[in-house]
This record gives sequence, structure tokens and C-alpha cells, in this order.
Amino acid sequence: MNWRKLRTFLLTVLVLCLIPATRYYQIDAPLLHFLKGSRDVDPLSLHLAGEFVENNLGTEQGADGSVTVRMIAQQYLFVPHCILVPAGVPVHLRITSADVVHALAFNGTDYNVKVLPGTISEAQLQFSSPGEFKTVCREFCGAGHYAMRSELKVVPRDQFPVLRSGERGNCAAQ
Amino acid sequence: MRRNSGRSSVWNFLRVTAVVFAASSLLLVASDNAPERVPSYVSWSQETLAAASAGDAFRGMLLAKRCDHCHGSEGFSATGSTPNLADMDELAIWKELEDFRSHKRISRAMEPIAESLSSRDVADVVAYYSKLPVYTDPQDNRNFPGSRPGPGHAAIASHLVAFGDGERGIPPCQSCHGPVAYRPGVPSLMTQNSEYVLSQLEAFANRSRANDINMPMRTISTLLTEDERHALAEYYGSGLGLQPGSSR
Repeated sequence: MNWRKLRTFLLTVLVLCLIPATRYYQIDAPLLHFLKGSRDVDPLSLHLAGEFVENNLGTEQGADGSVTVRMIAQQYLFVPHCILVPAGVPVHLRITSADVVHALAFNGTDYNVKVLPGTISEAQLQFSSPGEFKTVCREFCGAGHYAMRSELKVVPRDQFPVLRSGERGNCAAQ
Repeated sequence: MRRNSGRSSVWNFLRVTAVVFAASSLLLVASDNAPERVPSYVSWSQETLAAASAGDAFRGMLLAKRCDHCHGSEGFSATGSTPNLADMDELAIWKELEDFRSHKRISRAMEPIAESLSSRDVADVVAYYSKLPVYTDPQDNRNFPGSRPGPGHAAIASHLVAFGDGERGIPPCQSCHGPVAYRPGVPSLMTQNSEYVLSQLEAFANRSRANDINMPMRTISTLLTEDERHALAEYYGSGLGLQPGSSR
């Protein structure tokens, strides 16, 4: 009888452990949203004002050298279509969705950021060496989901362009 | 004494005003570095959707008499560079008219016309064109079913329309422009003139048209090659989009 109780208890603990284990590599936006307080944005009017207007998207270099990347995920594109970041520098990613739930992942890395409409997902990324990564959407978002891909280019620190204030870097063809 | 203190308070007020003015002008200069670039003032809120779909189609029909000259009496234009409007999605025409009204989309012909319309007129005209059927026995001099693309172009275009290009990150056209799925404000292309489709793809690519919200078309048209743009325009302009799969 006692043995059976212990077994049930251990099984329950194991099953409960599975939940954080599956979340380990995911930056869980709903959870962060709950823990850090609300950071609401209106997904329908991102283009009108605020942080995600189109000329503010891309890589921003702060005066202190910090790097922030702002992106929009929408059916079926990431905007901007190619992101440029320096290697070996912590990159602060801020991304939001204009329509449905997406998940931003860089193929070949462990980063997977869930993107929800109405909230800003934040993540700290760091890429140790230069390279090119395919950016894919890993949350089914509709008919064109499988083609929702873009690129991430990590360049050596000295090759990263010096951005003036108000200027945003990206490597999408203009 | 009283008079003196009054004067000093005036000076204090002036000094505070000067400081506030200097600070605000500094702030303005600082924020001037990145003026916000707004592609279109339209945002698809519930109120917008309600306003765009509340038109009276009969009144729209009377108003649309002045559109006949270019857009055709049956909603199909005689010249390829003018878009066909018959059976077009309500929200798509509404958005373009609003963008012409706010000069977010540039057209020497359409900007003054759209400006002359009230917001009620816009909704009515839009209701009329969205309900105008695609007649099976056309009586007008229309441009629409253009010549069929060659086998090479047909294959390229039908693949892009149906599957896009996952490697380059080009979503399939039909996942937004129909018939598979639509997004609000996105036009249906199945009965569009090839010359118009091509001109718009090129305008998006060279940024002379920039009213797509969150820049999907500016991104995609830049990723497409010159040949693919021509193939897609011929595909839609020849009516192949009406019978998916027929070109293979």
C-alpha cells in the first residue's frame, strides 16, 4: 500500500518535471508576460505609431554599444527579412506579431521565441561566431506557414556597420 | 512691496517658461532623428471593418458612373494599366481609396478623385464594386483575359502561386490573395490585368508604392526576380488563376 503511494508520488513528480523540461529552451512569452507585468501593444496598429513603426525595425545600436533587434512576425513573413547582428555581443531581441501566434527560431541554434499578438516577446541572444542562419517559424500560422523563412547574418564585430542614432541595420535587399 | 513681489513672480514665470521651451525644443530635436514612417493610416480595427463594409451598393452604383470611363461599365477596364474592380474584395478597394485620400499611395489620376469623395461615398462605391459579378458574357471592350504565358512562365508562376519558395522565404501568393485564404485589405488577383499586376510589383520593388502595412509586398517583390514578376503578371492576367492547376 505504502509502496504504491510512493510510486504514484514519484510518477506525478516526473510528469510535473516534464513541463519545465519542455520549456527549457523556449522563451515563454505568456509566462514572462504574466511574471513581468503587461506590455501590451495593439497588433492592428503597429505601423501607425510606437516602437514597431517600419523605420524602427531592424538592428539598433545604442550609445553604450548595446544591440537591440526589433522585428514583426506576420502571416507569412518576418520583417525585416534579413537581420544583421555582430558576433560575440549580447543582442536584445524584441518581437511582436501583427496577426496570429508565431514562433521565431534560428535553425542550428537553441533559440526559439514564441511570438504572440498583443504582447512583446523579449529575448537575450548571443552568437559566438559569425555565420548565417535560417530563421524559421515553428508555430503553424496558416496556409503559407512553411514558407515563412528569413535570414540572420552574424558578422564579426569589426565588420558590423556603425549605425547612427535613428539608423537601423538590416541585410534585406533594398 | 506687493507690487515688487508681483513683478518677481512674473520674472519667475518667464524663467520657467524659457526653461520648459528650451527643454521641449531639445526633446523635439532628439526625437526628430527618427521620424516615424507610416505606410498607411488604415488599421483593421472593428470600427474600420464596420465602416468599410457599411456601404449602400445602389448609391454606389450611381456614384460609380464616373468610374466607368476608366474602370469599365462592368468593372473591367479597357486598358491594361488600369485595375479591374469587379468582384474585388470590399476592404481592398476601401483601403486603396483611403490611401489615395491621405496621399499614402501616389497616383496623379486617383488622388484628386478619391479626395473628392466623402467617406460615405467611398464605402458606397466599394460596396457596389464588390457586388459587381464577373459576367460570363462580357458586353464591354475589356482587356482582361490576356494572352496565355509560355510553358516556362506558366510553370514558374503556378509554382510561386501555389507553393511560393520556401528557400528564399517567399510565401505562396494564394495564401493571401486567394483563393486559398485572404487577409483583410488584400486584393484578389484572379481577374486582374497583367500590365497592372506587373506595374504594381515593380512599384513595390522600387518603393514608389509603399502603402503595404508592415511591408509584405515590398519585401516579396524585392525577393522576386524580373522574370518571375513577368511570369506572375502573365499568369494572373490570362485568367489562369481562375482555374487553379489547369496550367500544369
